[in-house]
Amino acid sequence: MDNKTGMSPFDAAFHASAERHERFWIFGVLVMLVLLTIGTMFYVVHDYGLVTGTQSYATDPQAPAREAAFQDGKVVRTGPNSYAVYMVGRAWHWAPDVIHVPEGAEITFYVTSADVLHGFEIQGTPVNLTAMPGVVGTVKYTFRHAGLFRIICNEYCGMFHHAMVARIIVDPAGTP
Amino acid sequence: MNMEIAADTLPSTLPRSESDRAAASTCRLMLAFLITGFSALLIGATIGPLQALNYGGVDAYPALRPLLQSYYQGLTIHGVMNGYVFTFFVTCGLLVYLPARELGVAPNLTMWRTCFAVMAVGALCVIYAMADNSSSVLWTFYPPLKGSPFFYFGITLLALGSTMPLPILLKMRATWRRHRPGEITPLVTYMSLTTMLMWGLAGVGVMAELVLQLDPWSLGLIGTVDPIINRTLFWLTGHPIVYFWLMPAYVSWYGLLSRQVGGKLISDPMARITFALLMIFALPVGTHHQFSDPGFSSIWRGILVVLTMSVATPSLVTAFTIGLSLEYAGRLRGGKGWFGWFRALPWGDPSVAAQILAAITFILGGATGIVNGSWQLNAIVHNTTFIPGHFHVTVGSVTAMTFMAISFWMVPHLTGRQLISRRLALFSVWTWFVGMTIFAIGMTWAGLYGVPRRAWVSALPHDTYHALYGAASVPLALVAAGGVLLWVASYAFFAVFFGSILFGRRAAPPPVPFAQSFGGPASSTIDSPPNPAQSASPLIRALDHVWLLTGITVLATLAAYIPILWPFLHHVTRAPGWILW
Repeated sequence: MDNKTGMSPFDAAFHASAERHERFWIFGVLVMLVLLTIGTMFYVVHDYGLVTGTQSYATDPQAPAREAAFQDGKVVRTGPNSYAVYMVGRAWHWAPDVIHVPEGAEITFYVTSADVLHGFEIQGTPVNLTAMPGVVGTVKYTFRHAGLFRIICNEYCGMFHHAMVARIIVDPAGTP
Repeated sequence: MNMEIAADTLPSTLPRSESDRAAASTCRLMLAFLITGFSALLIGATIGPLQALNYGGVDAYPALRPLLQSYYQGLTIHGVMNGYVFTFFVTCGLLVYLPARELGVAPNLTMWRTCFAVMAVGALCVIYAMADNSSSVLWTFYPPLKGSPFFYFGITLLALGSTMPLPILLKMRATWRRHRPGEITPLVTYMSLTTMLMWGLAGVGVMAELVLQLDPWSLGLIGTVDPIINRTLFWLTGHPIVYFWLMPAYVSWYGLLSRQVGGKLISDPMARITFALLMIFALPVGTHHQFSDPGFSSIWRGILVVLTMSVATPSLVTAFTIGLSLEYAGRLRGGKGWFGWFRALPWGDPSVAAQILAAITFILGGATGIVNGSWQLNAIVHNTTFIPGHFHVTVGSVTAMTFMAISFWMVPHLTGRQLISRRLALFSVWTWFVGMTIFAIGMTWAGLYGVPRRAWVSALPHDTYHALYGAASVPLALVAAGGVLLWVASYAFFAVFFGSILFGRRAAPPPVPFAQSFGGPASSTIDSPPNPAQSASPLIRALDHVWLLTGITVLATLAAYIPILWPFLHHVTRAPGWILW
C-alpha cells in the first residue's frame, strides 16, 4: 500500500497509465472537435452557402400571405439567371403547389405561414426552412439537375400534416 | 421493507425507532417514484411501436378507435409519457435517494413528497388532456397549435415539480458539510447537485413560455401568442432537457457501475469536470435546434456550432473514463489481451449488461448528435426521421436502459424481493439493445431520403407513400422491425419489474453499489471516518463552488440568448390559436 494515496501497486500503476492516456485522449478529442467545427464552417461559407435568413417580420401573422407577391404565387425573374419564389404554407397545402424553375438558376425562396408552423423541406436537397407565421424566411438554392422535386411539410401542423406535399419541376436548361 | 440497512447509514444521533421509520418512508417514496415513472413508460412504450409500424407503411390506428383517434394523438402520448413523465419521476427519485444514501443524511420528506404530488397532479392533468384528444400538439407543443388548459397547466406542474429536488439536495449537502468542514462534496451528491442546478436554470425557459404565454392563452386571458419567441423559450429548456435525461444515467455510470462490475472508478476528478462542463454548456446552445428557423443572424449560428461541438467534450471524456474503469475491473477479473477484459465483465448481471449495452448505443447517439449540431448537415437532417433516430439512441437507450439497469438492483434493494427472473431481465435488455439499434439505424438512414419525422405516412394512399418514400423502403422496414423488437423487450422488462415487486422471493436486500474511486474513501457518509487524505487539486476544490458554476452558466446563457431574443421582442407577432386535429 502506498501510504499517501492508499492504492495497491497494481492500482497505482494502472492509475498512472490511465492519466497518461487520458491526456492523450482529451487532446485527441479537442483536435477532432476543432477540425469538425472548421469543417462545418467551411461548408457553410464556401460550398453550398445555404443559410436560412430573415426577410421581414409582421405583427399580424396573416399579413405576409396577403402581400401581392405571395398572393400571385408566380415565379419572378429577378436577374439574368436568378428567380424568386414566394411560398405560403397553410394547413394543409402549399401555395403555389406546383412550380417550374429552370435548371442551374439561383432560386430565392421566400417562405411564410398563414396559420401554424410548417416545415419547408425540398426532398433530396439541403433546403429546410421553418415556415413561421408573421416571419418571412429566405433560402437560396440552385438546382443542378432537371427533374421532379417534392416540397414536404416537416413540421407538425395537424391532422393532414403528412399530406402537405407540393411539387417543384426543374426544367432542363434551355427550355423556354 | 429494507429498514435495517437504511437505518445503518442514517445519522446515529436520531433515536433508533425514529430513524427506522424515516428510512422506511424514504424507501417507500423512492419506490413510488420508480413505479410511477415506469408506469408512464409502460403507456409510452406500448404506443411507440405503432409509430415505428407507421413508418413501415402499416397503419394500426384505424383499428384502435375509439381509444386513439390518430397517429398524432398516439405520438403526443408517446413523447410526453416517455420524455417527461417517465424520466422526471425516475430522476427526481434517484437524485434525492442516491445522495441521501451516499451522505447518510435523511432527505426532507415533506419536500420530497410535495415534489411527487405536484408532478403526479401535473401528469394526471396532461394524461386527461391527451386522452380526450383535446391536445394532440406533440411533446414540443409549438404554438399557435392550441391544446387544452389541462395540457399546459399539467406540463407547468410537471416542470415545476421536477426542479424540487434541488432544495432537498442543497439542504442535505449543507448538513453533511457542517459535520465535515473542509471536505469536498462526495461524488454522487456532486453529480446530482450539478444536474439539478442545470435543470433548475434550464426550466426558466419553458416556465416563462407556459406561465407568461400558453397558460393564460389556453384560459382565454390573452388572445394571441408569439410563435417564434415561444419556440425559442421552449428550446432554452428543450436542449438542456437532453442533459436532464443523460446526466442521471451518467450518475449511475460514474457513481455505481464500477462497483457493480467489481472494480473502481478510475478518475473522480474527471467525473466532476464532466458534470461541470455539461452544466455550463447545456444551457447556451438551445437555439441550435433552430438552425432552420428564420430570425437570427448567421454569426450567432456560427457561435452556436462552436458551443454545440464543445458539448461533445464531456461525453467523450466519459467514454474514456467509463471505458477504462470497465477495463480495470475486467483485468482484475482475469481478462487478458486487447478484448479479453471486455468479455470478462459480469455479463450475467442484467444491471451491468444493460448499462454497458446502453453505453455502446451512445456511440451512434453521440455521432448522430454531432451531425445534428453541424449546421450544414443539420439542413439535410432537420425534422427528418434522422432526429428521432438520434434521440432514440440517447434518451431511448442510454437513459431508458440505465434506468432499467438501476431498477434491477433497486427493486430488490427497496422491497427485499429478488428479481423473478434474471434470464428474462437479460433477455429484455439485449432485445432492447438490438431493437433500438435496428430502429435507430433505420430512422437515421431513412432521414437521409428526406422522410419527415412525426408524419402519419401510413395514412397516405399507397401509391403516394410509395412515390414519396419508396426509395427508403429498406430503412423504413428496419424501423418497423426495430419497433416490434422493442415491444417484445419492453414487455419482458415490465414482467420482470412489476413481477418482482409483487411476487419476488424475499431475500436480504442488497446495498446501494456505490463505487470507490482510485485514492478515494470507501464511504462518504456523514458518520464515516474523516477523510483528511483528500488531496483534491485546486481545480476540484474550485469546482466544488457550485454557485460559481451557476453564475458562469447564467452569464453564458444570457450572452447567448439576449442577442437572439432581442429582434424577436422588437417584432412581436400576435398569432391566434389553431386546433387542427
